[in-house]
Formats: sequence, C-alpha cells, structure tokens
Amino acid sequence: MVTPSMVTTSTGLDLQASFEATLAGLGVSPGAAHLLWLPLPMVLVLVAAVVGVLVNVWLERKISAAVQQRIGPEYAGALGILQPMADGLKLVFKEDIIPVRADGLLFTLGPVLVLIPVILSWLVVPFGQHLLISNVGIGIFLWISLSSIQPIGLLMSGYASNNKYSLLGGLRAAAQSISYEIPLALAVLAIVMMSNSLSTVDIVAQQTGAGILSWNIWRQPVGFLIFWICALAECERLPFDLPEAEEELVAGYQTEYSGMKFALFYLGSYINLVLSALLVSVLYLGGWGFPIPVEWLAGWLGQPIDAPLVQVITASVGIVMTVLKAYLLVFVAILLRWTTPRVRIDQLLDLGWKFLLPIALVNLLVTAGLKLAFPLAFGG
Amino acid sequence: MFGFLKKVGDYTRDALGAANYMTQGLAVTFDHLRRRPVTVQYPYEKLIPSERYRGRIHYEFDKCIACEVCVRVCPINLPVVDWVMNKATKKKELRNYSIDFGVCIFCGNCVEYCPTNCLSMTEEYELAAFDRHSLNFDNIALGRLPTSVTTDPAVIPLRELAYLPKGEMDPHTVPDSAPRAGRLPEQVLETLPKAPSSSEAKAASGAAPEA
Repeated sequence: MVTPSMVTTSTGLDLQASFEATLAGLGVSPGAAHLLWLPLPMVLVLVAAVVGVLVNVWLERKISAAVQQRIGPEYAGALGILQPMADGLKLVFKEDIIPVRADGLLFTLGPVLVLIPVILSWLVVPFGQHLLISNVGIGIFLWISLSSIQPIGLLMSGYASNNKYSLLGGLRAAAQSISYEIPLALAVLAIVMMSNSLSTVDIVAQQTGAGILSWNIWRQPVGFLIFWICALAECERLPFDLPEAEEELVAGYQTEYSGMKFALFYLGSYINLVLSALLVSVLYLGGWGFPIPVEWLAGWLGQPIDAPLVQVITASVGIVMTVLKAYLLVFVAILLRWTTPRVRIDQLLDLGWKFLLPIALVNLLVTAGLKLAFPLAFGG
Repeated sequence: MFGFLKKVGDYTRDALGAANYMTQGLAVTFDHLRRRPVTVQYPYEKLIPSERYRGRIHYEFDKCIACEVCVRVCPINLPVVDWVMNKATKKKELRNYSIDFGVCIFCGNCVEYCPTNCLSMTEEYELAAFDRHSLNFDNIALGRLPTSVTTDPAVIPLRELAYLPKGEMDPHTVPDSAPRAGRLPEQVLETLPKAPSSSEAKAASGAAPEA
C-alpha cells in the first residue's frame, strides 16, 4: 500500500516546471525560460509579505480595539481596512532625519540590516509541495542563521543614534535575541531529528500522513510552547517588548528614527511576526496540510489526485491552510499582547537561560529517546 | 536525591501555575472580544449631561443685586462685579458682570449662595477657544443659553450609564422610552406607607397624637 505521504511527495502542483515547459513550447531556450521564471516568485513573495503586514497591522488595531471594547480604525476604507495604507503613506512622505551627532552610515545601515534578513527568510517558507522560492537543503537552519543577523542591525542602530535610550534599547534587543535563539534552535532541532531533514518541505511532508493527528504539535507539545515563546521574544512582541518599552525607553532603538527608516523597522517587526507564525505552522501545525488529508478526500470523492483541477484545488487549499494557521497564531499573539504585562529584563533573561534552555535540552533528549524507542511514531 | 526531585517538582508546579494564570488572563481578554464597543463617537454622538452637571455658568443680569456674595464664596474671588452707588436713589447700580472660565474651577459655590438665583449651572462643556481671553465671559455671553444635546439635529444623544435600565451597558441599543434603573425620589415617596404609619411614628417618639 502506498502511504499518502509518498503520494504527496511525488505529485502536487509544480508551477515552475509547467511555466518553463510552456515557454519552451513557445520556442524559448530552457535557460532563458528559467531566467524569466526567477523574478516571479521573488516579487510574489515580497508582495505577499507586504500585504501580510498590512493585514496584520489592521488586525492588530481592530482586535486590540475589540479587546478593549473600542471600535478602532473606521473611516479609512470599509472598517478602516485602508488605515495601514494611510499609515504607510504618511511614513513615506515624512522628513528623513539623521541626528547631527549620529553616525550617518551606521544609522542608515541599521534598519536595512534588520529588514533584509527577515525578507530573505521567506525563501524557505513553503505554501505547498513546490510553492516556495527555494527548497534549500538547510531550510530551517537558514532561517535560524538569518535571524541572528537581526540583533547586529538593532545594536547598530541603537549605538549609532547617539542617544541613551536608543543604546539601551539596542543592547536589550541584542541580549534578548541572543538568549532566545538557543532554546529556539533546540526546539527546531527536536523537530529536525524527527523528520530527518532540515528542509521545510520535508518537515511538512513528514506531518501529512494522517491529517491533524500527524501534526508535530502532538508529538512536540513542549517544543511547540518553547518555540512560540522564543518566537514572540525574537519578534519583540509583548510580553517581551523590552527593547522598545515606551514607559522606560521612549521607543528604544527606534527613538531617533522617522520617515522611511522608521517604516523599515515597523515593516521588519511585522514581517517577522508573520514569518514566525508561518514557521510555527510549518514546524508544528502541519504547514499546508488540511486537517483531513486531501488525498483521502479526493479518494472518497472518487477523483484522481493527479488531475489538473484537483491539483489546483489542492494547492489553493494548501495556501489557505498555511495562511489560516499563521493568522490564527498572529491572533493569539495579539491577544497575548493585551493579556500579559511586560517582563523585566532580569526576568526575561531568567526565563530564557534558566527555564527555556534546560527544558529545551530535556525536550531534545526525550525526543531522541522516543525516536530510538518508537521509531515508527517518531521518525526513526 | 530526593531534594533534587522536590526541586524539580516545585519547579514544575510553578511553571504549571504560571501557565494556568496565563490561560485565565487569555480567557478574560478573549471574552471581551464578543462584547460590543461602548465608544461614544464624540462629535457625532454625545452623552446627555446629568441634571446636576456643573458646566458653564449662566447669569441673569436683571436679577442681580450686586451683593458680591458670589465673589466672597468663590475660592479665588473670580467674578468681577462692576457697580456704582447711585447717590440719588441710594441703590447699587450694576454696570458689568463677568466670569473668566479659563480660571473658573466650576465648583458651583457662587450658584449655591446667590441670594436671588441669578446664577445657575448649565450643561455646556465645550469651551475650547483659540485665545484664552475669549473665555472671559461678560454679562452678555453669560446670559446666553447653551444648545442642548437632545435638540441638536447633528448629534445623536446617548444616555449615561447611570441613566440606562438595569443591566444595560451600551446606550446605543436602548430605546428612548426604556426607564432608567432605580427610582426617582418622588417615586420612592409614593411607595412609602401612608398617614397611619406616620402618626404611629409620632406616637412612638412621644409627641401628642393628632385626631
């Protein structure tokens, strides 16, 4: 009997192959066809990331309003849906200020260094079997390494602003990112151990066997919590928003920034939140997988899984599921923002080093033991 | 060995307790999601000020006897009463009266003590001005009546929380005819026992019983 996961790895919508085949059919050489294909997914992902941020900002404001029994943005577009656009437009037209005593070069480089790794990380986010920019073998590891570039940018902008609050914010951001990267990586390692691959596609494919029951969250509940807490800390979301704690540090490392440079920070933090939510759904919630495997559904409906229409529907369901899971997590993050008070810097470091790190290590050990004991259930 | 196990146990209990509190907090915020906003969208909707609202002071020039009691009871002697003694009639002749609302704290003492009731408090609270000197109201400005929230066609009047029926939180959904929670003093009086009980009370207190 062929297991459903075998079926998914062998089939699925491959847009790149069909695009290049179509162009080759029109008489374009394979190399030129590949070159024409290359920019398409990049632009698409960039647009998707920015639209994701707009939706995110709108959701953040509306959900925050609902939690506090307010109305929230209402007049810019229906239900205030154009409010993030208006905010963005305002930031574009604002004056770009570099403080006189600041280091101009580093001051400019800081926000760029924060944003670029975050956008680059979208390389490895899969929305379907072939619906990702690049199925690099080191997939999830690439994200971990890229996300450690970010604190350099934060520290750089904090230091270059020549402002006490900025410097403190930058230092806090660096300390926070470094402390939470380790339990994060250990939680990912446990997943990697189970799926025998660093590639995000393989990690999802390993979870598609029995729908919702085969998602990693059941096998890695502790890892899921550790990863989620660390992801919130990496995104500097409340309760871990110490680097920009407005009551103590004005706006942390963002204090001296205005206009487009501030917009880069803003964009970066929200893209990072969406990215983290997407990666949680990829690592723990079965990525593009439907709660009931689509292969089973197609089988019950008597449709061949290879039929073009079924493939298009499957791919759409995959994209919808990935985005849905991610935004569910974003919702939880927003709700957490209004539930939890901010932790102190010593509590933050305590939580990272004295709590999450040992638990992540124990989780890794237990996963290894379970893998040896039950190779069938834990990917032997 | 057991000390270590106890430590691990305490640690786990602490962690679970923290998770429990976090879930409780999340339940509270999540529950608030289904509640309707209580926002009063100010320039378009306004709350109806209560009967005892202490807003801008209204003044009737013709009633005033220039006694200056309002000045004496004012914490900062704010009202300016400009009068001269008419030698012929031997009476005070009032020329001007003014209160500076940029300085007034709306305590209402002047209204309380005015012997002729020429001062009263209105429900007007929108006193924003571009120049603080324009808040110094003379007797003409003090004599103007404020526009009422309920009669302004551009404004949706909303009742304050205390004026809504029992259990209602959102004034938007309550019809105008719905009575407020609780009873007015005259309604309470109506429910009180009638004459016999009052004579009994007097008898109990030792006064002579009436016929």
